[in-house]
Amino acid sequence: MASCNCPSHTKEDAKFGDYFSENLYNWCTNCGNYGIHAAVKRALTAQNIKPCQTLLCFDIGCHGNGSDKIGGYRFHGLHGRVLSFACGASTANSKLKVIAFGGDGGTLGEGINHLIMAIRGNYNFTFVFHNNLNYGLTTGQASATTKPGVKMNASPDGITTEPIHPMRFVLSLHPTFAARTFSGDVHHMNETFQAAINHKGFSFIEVLQSCPTYNLMTPHEWYQNRVKKVEEMKGYKNDNLELAQKVGEDLESQIAIGVLYQNKNSIPFMNRQANRTEVKTELVNEVQPGPAQELFDHFR
Amino acid sequence: MIDNRRISVKITGESGQGINSIGEVVAKALKECGYYTFGYREYPSLIKGGHAFHQVDFSDRPLNSSSNQVDLMVSFSRVSFHQYLPTLRENGQAIHMLPMLELTEEEKALTTSKNNSVFHLPADEMSVQIGGKAIMANSIMVAALWKILNLPLEPLEKIIKKEFAHKPEAIKSNLACLAAGYDANIENIRPLNVHFTAHPKRQNDALLTGNNLVSIGAVSAGVRAYFAYPMTPSSSILSYLADEYHETNMLVKQLDDEISVAQTALGAMFMGTRALVATSGGGFDLMTESVSLAGITETPFVCVLAQRPGPATGLPTWTAATDLNLAIYAGHGEYPRCVISVSDSNSAYTLIQHAFNIAEKYQIPTILLTDKQIAESLYQMGDLPPAVSIKRSLISNKPDQNPTSSDRYKITDSGISPRWIPGQFEETYVGNSDEHTPDGTVTEDAQISREMNQKRLRKLKTLEEELPEPRILGPQKAKTTIVTWGSPLNALTDALNIWNDNNPKKQVNLLLYEFMYPTKTGELRNLIKNKKKLILVENNEFAQLGALLTQNTGYIFTEKLLKSNGRPFFIEEIYDFLQNNIK
Repeated sequence: MASCNCPSHTKEDAKFGDYFSENLYNWCTNCGNYGIHAAVKRALTAQNIKPCQTLLCFDIGCHGNGSDKIGGYRFHGLHGRVLSFACGASTANSKLKVIAFGGDGGTLGEGINHLIMAIRGNYNFTFVFHNNLNYGLTTGQASATTKPGVKMNASPDGITTEPIHPMRFVLSLHPTFAARTFSGDVHHMNETFQAAINHKGFSFIEVLQSCPTYNLMTPHEWYQNRVKKVEEMKGYKNDNLELAQKVGEDLESQIAIGVLYQNKNSIPFMNRQANRTEVKTELVNEVQPGPAQELFDHFR
Repeated sequence: MIDNRRISVKITGESGQGINSIGEVVAKALKECGYYTFGYREYPSLIKGGHAFHQVDFSDRPLNSSSNQVDLMVSFSRVSFHQYLPTLRENGQAIHMLPMLELTEEEKALTTSKNNSVFHLPADEMSVQIGGKAIMANSIMVAALWKILNLPLEPLEKIIKKEFAHKPEAIKSNLACLAAGYDANIENIRPLNVHFTAHPKRQNDALLTGNNLVSIGAVSAGVRAYFAYPMTPSSSILSYLADEYHETNMLVKQLDDEISVAQTALGAMFMGTRALVATSGGGFDLMTESVSLAGITETPFVCVLAQRPGPATGLPTWTAATDLNLAIYAGHGEYPRCVISVSDSNSAYTLIQHAFNIAEKYQIPTILLTDKQIAESLYQMGDLPPAVSIKRSLISNKPDQNPTSSDRYKITDSGISPRWIPGQFEETYVGNSDEHTPDGTVTEDAQISREMNQKRLRKLKTLEEELPEPRILGPQKAKTTIVTWGSPLNALTDALNIWNDNNPKKQVNLLLYEFMYPTKTGELRNLIKNKKKLILVENNEFAQLGALLTQNTGYIFTEKLLKSNGRPFFIEEIYDFLQNNIK
């Protein structure tokens, strides 16, 4: 459960309106980001997490331009680096709910090493992966998930490199939580985000996001006709990594959405540190002089 | 030859032979005898082979630098014997355990001309005969060294017992080896006369590296997280803090690259703890975009930049002071920062604490420069200097302090805006890498952009006013002042102690820069006005501090002693320079 140290905190439950911002959105009409923001607000509110109890971390890209259009403590950093920033933030205070947002460019291009680090360390935060198959904010260049042959800005004869399959890649690293959802289904996103927020450790959510301006190959309707909830798949259980790998593979005809995999015995990063398991305080509350003299005396 | 009131001992061998451990035993035993010691390491970027040494200089007065010549040398490998034989001083003696070793004609001539002696002791055979292992030859050789030093064996025995406390079964045979080495009856050795007095008080001193002291300073500063990627000469901060993390409960983590390191630390700092990172030049290059990010988001960031010679991989295990420009200018855009330089064992402990107070008060990146000479040399200290009290400069957590979002990056005269950490108040904000309004909202407005940029840059002026002037060290009335920064301070101090004793009418003092940027010039302007003779001493080729001071004062340094071969300054080269330049 998230909590803060605000001296004059109200006892009321969190409301959707708490996350309201007066700043106007400037995304394209029909951008998938609108639905994602709405779902994030709903999920946080449903979990009774107030804006002062959360840190939302944004990468650079179209989604990042929403960093000042939602409530909460927020950080809008550098392209590709949001995951390692959130890793650090999550170690310092586990009482605040950390959610990071990044696109397919920053996450699988410039900063793919940070995704690996976050999964392997099982840092305690949620990552919303906006996958719209292109670099939107720099006007439609190819990303690591753009399909081969597609003509993009700076690739006039079509993409010649093999794409990265995000879920295959993530599951190969044995994450403790991996989900997929679709930006056209706010309700499903809300449910999925809540499951991720409640997970202990690193929760990865791929959002299949429509980009009405630059991704003309797989628009909203294309996804809508293909997504299939794992709950509706007969006998699906999300505690089996191999099954998740099998079901998560198809990105063309029947695309599985929902919590594909969750390890209920997940031990988050800080609980894995041998010298921190008995410690009850948070790093943010521990800034005071340590045993310097004792350390020095060992050298006598 | 000047009497430098010290004796220098060099332990030489290959990487992997435990040269450094032997050097440390020698230093500890000399301290136990009641002397001040200083330990200097040279070693290649190799795990096995090459040639390495650990040199211990000792005296009855504090010393923190090396002589470039030694009185005694102990050799464990042929390559190192031949490499370092020429460093023997007049009347110096060398002892080795290498069968059939032959001197070249050149070496014979050199040793004869300097009256050097070379002795062979079959220590590995002896150790096996005594019933020990071949590795115990090290104890035999050290004891033979002790015999030539003409020092009592008991302090050395005491140290060996302590060293092997965790392996009691090895103590007896090592003590037997010590006795055998001490009583070996090597023909023609000339026992030294240690011509300065010992003081038992020294026995309680500590022996530790600059990296140990930076780490302990971080503990004093309340650092709760340390992130790093291994890179010489910063790596031993990581291993030391990890070895002590059960005592400190600090989070100590090796991460996947320096970009992750910088970003993770920024995340932890933004959330509100104190996190530290350390690296060397190449790693810092990777961090520079994050330094720039700290600049615009006004997130405190502290990085130890342990210098070694570049460019690129350069000389990985050697020393330099070539990254002052990097520290001051790295990162795109214009933003305030603070650059501080450690110059000795005391400042290794204290300046890291100032670095955090400054980084948090001004909400800026702060870079603490050290170098390999500081990081890895073995310093002797009586006690830690007083700790610097922690000042976090956060707004206090009282209901009447309730800030509003637009206070966070509020435009102020000092440039400093109120800072509170996530979860501290209900009013939230955005730390935004885009230019922003006072609450962090993105803006591209011409006027606000300029005002916000100028607000941040005003912090430089405020900080400059707060920083102390560089310190004058040594005789106040000296007519000559050496301007310097970083580890050269140590060789300068040791050399000037001798110079000023010998030259009462040609006294020389020092102007030491520790707070490098923003740059204070008041003291320097006084010296210029009073027509002092100024000499610049730097461990680089560009005279980087000199250029910075010229940029700020217009004064051009004409007399410079610069060095850029990976080695630190030795006392003789400073003394010789003064002899040639001060008439």
